[in-house]
Amino acid sequence: MIKKALSASYLGIILLILYSPILIIIIFSFTEAKVLGNWTGFSLKLYTSIFSGGIHHSLTNALWNTLIIGLVAAFVSTALGTMAAIGIYNLLPRTQKTIKMVNTIPILNPDIITAISLFLLFVSLGFSQGYITVILAHITFCTPYVVLSVLPRLRRMNPNLYEAALDLGATPFLAVRRILIPELKPGMLSGFILAFTLSIDDFVVTLFTIGNEGLETLSTYIYADARKGGLTPELRPLSTIIFVTVLLLLLVINKKAAKLKL
Amino acid sequence: MLKKVVSFSGRRRNWVIPYVLFLAFFVIAPMVLIIYYAFTNPEGAFTFANIKKFWVHPEVLNTFLYSVVVALITTFLCILIGYPAAYILSKMESRKAKLIVILFILPMWINFLIRTLATVALFDFFRIPLGQGALIFGMVYNFLPFMIYPIYNTLQKTDQNLIEAAQDLGANPRQVFLRTEFPLSVPGITSGILMVFMPVISTFAIAELLTLNNIKLFGTTLQENIYNGTWNYGAALSLIVLLLIGATTLINREGNSKAAEEGNLI
Amino acid sequence: MVILIVLAAGISFLSSCKSSDESRKKILKIYNWADYIDEDLLTEFPVWYKEQTGEDVKIVYQVFDMPEVMYTKIAMGKEDFDLSCPTQYIIEKMLKNDLLLPIDRNFGKTKDYMGNVSPFLLERMDAFSVPGKKAADYMLPYMWGTSGLLYNKDKVSDEEVKSWACLWDQKNKGKILMKDHYWDVYNMAAIFGCYPDIVSGKRSRYDVSNDHADEDIAMVEKQLKALRPNLAGWEADFGKDMMTKGTIWLNYAWSGDAVWAIEEAAQVNVSLGYEVPKEGSNIWFDGWIIPRYAENVKAASYFLNYLCQSEVALRNMDISGFCSAIATPEIIEALKDTTLTETVNASYFFGPGNEMLQLNPIQYPDSSVVERCVLLHDFMDKNDQVLEMWSRVKGNNL
Repeated sequence: MIKKALSASYLGIILLILYSPILIIIIFSFTEAKVLGNWTGFSLKLYTSIFSGGIHHSLTNALWNTLIIGLVAAFVSTALGTMAAIGIYNLLPRTQKTIKMVNTIPILNPDIITAISLFLLFVSLGFSQGYITVILAHITFCTPYVVLSVLPRLRRMNPNLYEAALDLGATPFLAVRRILIPELKPGMLSGFILAFTLSIDDFVVTLFTIGNEGLETLSTYIYADARKGGLTPELRPLSTIIFVTVLLLLLVINKKAAKLKL
Repeated sequence: MLKKVVSFSGRRRNWVIPYVLFLAFFVIAPMVLIIYYAFTNPEGAFTFANIKKFWVHPEVLNTFLYSVVVALITTFLCILIGYPAAYILSKMESRKAKLIVILFILPMWINFLIRTLATVALFDFFRIPLGQGALIFGMVYNFLPFMIYPIYNTLQKTDQNLIEAAQDLGANPRQVFLRTEFPLSVPGITSGILMVFMPVISTFAIAELLTLNNIKLFGTTLQENIYNGTWNYGAALSLIVLLLIGATTLINREGNSKAAEEGNLI
Repeated sequence: MVILIVLAAGISFLSSCKSSDESRKKILKIYNWADYIDEDLLTEFPVWYKEQTGEDVKIVYQVFDMPEVMYTKIAMGKEDFDLSCPTQYIIEKMLKNDLLLPIDRNFGKTKDYMGNVSPFLLERMDAFSVPGKKAADYMLPYMWGTSGLLYNKDKVSDEEVKSWACLWDQKNKGKILMKDHYWDVYNMAAIFGCYPDIVSGKRSRYDVSNDHADEDIAMVEKQLKALRPNLAGWEADFGKDMMTKGTIWLNYAWSGDAVWAIEEAAQVNVSLGYEVPKEGSNIWFDGWIIPRYAENVKAASYFLNYLCQSEVALRNMDISGFCSAIATPEIIEALKDTTLTETVNASYFFGPGNEMLQLNPIQYPDSSVVERCVLLHDFMDKNDQVLEMWSRVKGNNL
């Protein structure tokens, strides 16, 4: 009993500390001050400003781009990474090690180096930069994380299941779909979430692969904004709204999953 | 012909080929470019001057070592705080645990800069001065989820039979943990270290905002060099760091044969 | 189901990233700071352009967080931006490294407004000219200002900030933020250290700031090392924020930022002021340039012409909060503040007859202030040496 209470409070405290900056953002979204941390009295003006079209059109563009890039990059990374993990698992140990080592490079590399190396690559190939280059760049640094999430699940899996399916007459593809994927699903899901999270928060890599056609993501918008004249105050209610929405969504999905499972 | 393609793609180990091609193009080729830049001067001639510059400059070395120490402390704290959290989560009911794990990741969805500025405001609010403490707080804050995630994943998959076997053999809960669960979770810890250690060294905005630029981390040095156009030196610096840290990390795991066998994440 | 979503996303982004069939000549790519231009102008300019030339143009607008990124992209990546607005030291570097194209002033039947730029700035700018390339042909000053001290009036007296010495004063320990920018800081330390020479007439301020002699560099290093323990830290952009919170009392700031900070601080009952100390400081400006790989020089030049009109300049000043380089009577008329009791002598900027204008003295400093401000030059071959000095000053973390 006490153990449970202690564990729960341990998690609770950590979560509280983790969320305290977020709380600050939420609290200060209810004031008009330009600087985060100044309180000029309670006011809903920032919220109304967002909804009455006060939001900069390029901010909405940026938000939309970030979402699309994030989803596409996450999907492709998950697919690519899962396939790769399956392949790696079945390789000879020596080749396995080499590929795993190369796979870790994007994780270890400082992101500014990944950024300029990809920039140089695209420039020397004459690739015109834009959506595609950004997505490719994101896939580059996201896939290793997917591979790392899926591989362990492969190791835990009973290796005979796949063989058994083949023996029973399934084609390799059917066996993969019906046997492997369900086993790997948790790993794939966590890889996907990780990839998406990394993608939407990325700044430097996006900055150097974004080209010159006016493409912007949330990160590039916010950083550019923060340099001159300070962070747009509207970002506080915007972040609050996004955050609360995602939180609610999560809880709803969780409740629904509970109903289905039970 | 079609039959050959089908059978070729049926062999699971060939599934790695698309990724290998991708890696060759988007990881190896760019690395080659970096190596090229590291060993040439702005005119394009081959030189070791960039590498030499690193060893000759005490401030850069100093910054580098300091960053390594910060990274060590951060990683250590992340393990200290994150392991128990992951352990508790792994003992919880799966659905609830998954929800809480996602709750740990959720703050990362608020943009990094906003989060960090909010942390500054937080410290201001509690009248705590910024500096080294704030830096470590900021680092742990940003990287804790990356430590909890892999440890939780690994712990969660621990074969229940092994635990039960240990209990049947007469082990008390502490022994069960120390002799069974903990060793099996080491790959998760290794994975976490991988995702935390190097990135801490190369982050720049956190040090800038949370220490009022008093503390300079290696990431800032890199960023300065890239932004000031001295890419040759910047490339050399990143290579040195990659080789020093990356090599030791990888070699370490090579030698770690026990974990290398069962359930190694890398 | 999942596949469908991916496909849908893929199609939607592919269709949006496919550049339109418009030829490149009909596009104008602008790369600028955020919040630095009235973005309505971006839709109004094509209309004006069509009127003036009968041609269509579409503006593609992108923002950078630091002009160094712009420089890198153009120098290393040959990006084909048509226009950009970096700070003067980047412009100088670009001109020197042959990365700029001249502005095309053949405006046909369109009126040439570019003469509206204050001759004061054009003169100062001329110092950037290199053999064969007159600076005025390659850049158009956009916003300008001074550097000085932003201070908290309740904690630091107006008298104290009249000299840079207040930064070294123990009384202000831990309450000062300096700019993390070696250009400005070097200049301040150099002018402060050599002030006796300047007063006695032995050296001019311009020489002190731009000589970069070894003795000067050594002296600056000593000064800055003495300054460092007194500072709370260094900043690149959050200094003005912290000033409004009252946690910091003194901040090296640019005049445009100071105006913003004073206004914002007033909302939270913090009273700030701005002063250019008596020893001297520098004038800075941001300017528009046409990078080397631009493909639409004509539209770019017309855009610059467009920006020089008084009404347009006023709108940009309003949005950015900075002070425009355009000097016309319309500007004086629009900005004059009859509630001000003190007037400024702004004849250096607007021309003779403007000795007593009721303008914000931070935006339009009095001629006595401007007299003690210099324009800074690139460190040229001393750059590495100064950078090394700077890293010794910023010092070890331990």
